[in-house]
Amino acid sequence: MKGIILKNERLNDKYRLMEIESPEFAQTAKPGQFVMVKTGLQDYLADPLLRRPFGVVDVRGNTFRLLYMLVGKGTRLMTESPAGSVIEFSSSLGNGFKSVKNQNIALAAGGVGIAPLLWIAKLLKDDGCRVTLYFGGRNQEDIILADEFRPHIDKLIITTDDGSIGEKALVTAPFEKDAAGFDRVYACGPKRMLQAVSEICVKGGVPVDVSLDERMACGMGACLGCIIYVREGEETVQKRCCVEGPVFDGSKVVWESVCR
Amino acid sequence: MSVLKVNICGVEFKNPVITASGTFGYGLEYARFIDISKLGGISVKGISYNEVRGNPMPRIMETTSGMLNAIGLQNVGVHKFLKEKLPLLRKYDTRVIVNFWGKTIEEYVQVAEILDNADIDMLEMNISCPNVKEGGIAFGSDPSMTAKVVSECRKAIRNKPLLVKLSPNVTDIKPFAKACEDSGADGISAINTLLGMAVNIHTRKPYISNVTGGLSGPAIKPVAVRMVHEVSKVVKIPIVGMGGIIRWEDAAEFFLVGASAVQVGTANFVDPELTLKIVDGLEKYAKSQGLSNISELTGKVDLSK
Repeated sequence: MKGIILKNERLNDKYRLMEIESPEFAQTAKPGQFVMVKTGLQDYLADPLLRRPFGVVDVRGNTFRLLYMLVGKGTRLMTESPAGSVIEFSSSLGNGFKSVKNQNIALAAGGVGIAPLLWIAKLLKDDGCRVTLYFGGRNQEDIILADEFRPHIDKLIITTDDGSIGEKALVTAPFEKDAAGFDRVYACGPKRMLQAVSEICVKGGVPVDVSLDERMACGMGACLGCIIYVREGEETVQKRCCVEGPVFDGSKVVWESVCR
Repeated sequence: MSVLKVNICGVEFKNPVITASGTFGYGLEYARFIDISKLGGISVKGISYNEVRGNPMPRIMETTSGMLNAIGLQNVGVHKFLKEKLPLLRKYDTRVIVNFWGKTIEEYVQVAEILDNADIDMLEMNISCPNVKEGGIAFGSDPSMTAKVVSECRKAIRNKPLLVKLSPNVTDIKPFAKACEDSGADGISAINTLLGMAVNIHTRKPYISNVTGGLSGPAIKPVAVRMVHEVSKVVKIPIVGMGGIIRWEDAAEFFLVGASAVQVGTANFVDPELTLKIVDGLEKYAKSQGLSNISELTGKVDLSK
């Protein structure tokens, strides 16, 4: 699938936000899904070779947005795509978050893990939920898009490792204090954070959905590079992060296999 | 598109572009994204007798113009494949090649016998996977073992053509190709992945849990072209060439050094539409070269000084 880049905005030294026009994708996408972006941006450029998965931030009319963190060669090349240029991607991949009505919801995000939570926050708020966002990062640079959340949430709690903004703590610290009061939790971020959030939820008897990230080659269920181990009754079963995920029931994930 | 029609080991393919085993699942995964009926054929994920869950994670790592994988031949097992996957795949108008393997010669034979009576077009024996301890590479790295496993399977396979997929992880590939031909293989597919390794310099640990993995992608193409060329010098049976094909120009190179068809692997991960672009590109190329059929290109490399 192809789209036209409308904006490729620098948020700070670490993050960028790309807006892409693609009516075909925008009309079918669901919150929590992801796309695999061709990072070479030239036909058949073989290095970097593979597409990269990015969570969809939101859809507005015929456009959707991707948040990306500058990590390596692929994301550096993405920064060089100006507005008006064409971008290739595979869509609509994975199962997303399911919205619920009239519940007390917590969103827990770590750094770039904020990306897939904005869209579900909007839907939850529209469906009568009370929404609290717990957002943690290393420093102020990691606290991105927070202002965009404000109209769609009731409460925002920010933490940073260095205390440069919000409380100087891990995001799990304030979350743990409040967790038992929520009806459901949606989380995305570093794996150890998701493990901790899930363990807190299990302890408090709160359902928790986590959006996981694994190295993947195809994003379509063929390469079997992104296996997640999940408990089903007495059994441990294999799921493909790209097809059966990326959203999983955090209480069933075998965290020792995910946090390696 | 008759210019692309090829006959491999008695089976007619509408075009010579086949998706390589391990890179296209059971075909069905891609049916949502491309018209798989436009493919010449599909070589499905390596099938064993019992279901196999593969290696621990992490299993893949991108390298310069390539990728390392150590999936570990994960598959649903032959019975589940025949019951749940094959009938769905058969609804598409494309040839089905089933890649298969075993931990022992007996297991190779057991799977081969079952597949020989199934609704498939061709078998592809995998004696070259670098990612499993038993079977696989053990049979592909000793010519006498290669001869033994091929001849035993040959006795068991009465109804279908048999391809044998060779390993590049040997000093000289020619004796292995010859052993296959002499033991009754109908064709050779070459090459499988090259054994490789990548290390994270910050953690000082290998990137994939198996320590080593199979290297694929454009990075290996020159090695694959050389090996297909070498194999073509010692066997008369058809060769299906593969290794790093990502553009139609790559596929044409394999024809020139002796391939009668090609398999496309890692490119499927890069872009699910690349195989179809290769089909189109080859057709235009064949016509521009004045060929009445793409097979006229096979082995026509000009080595004159």
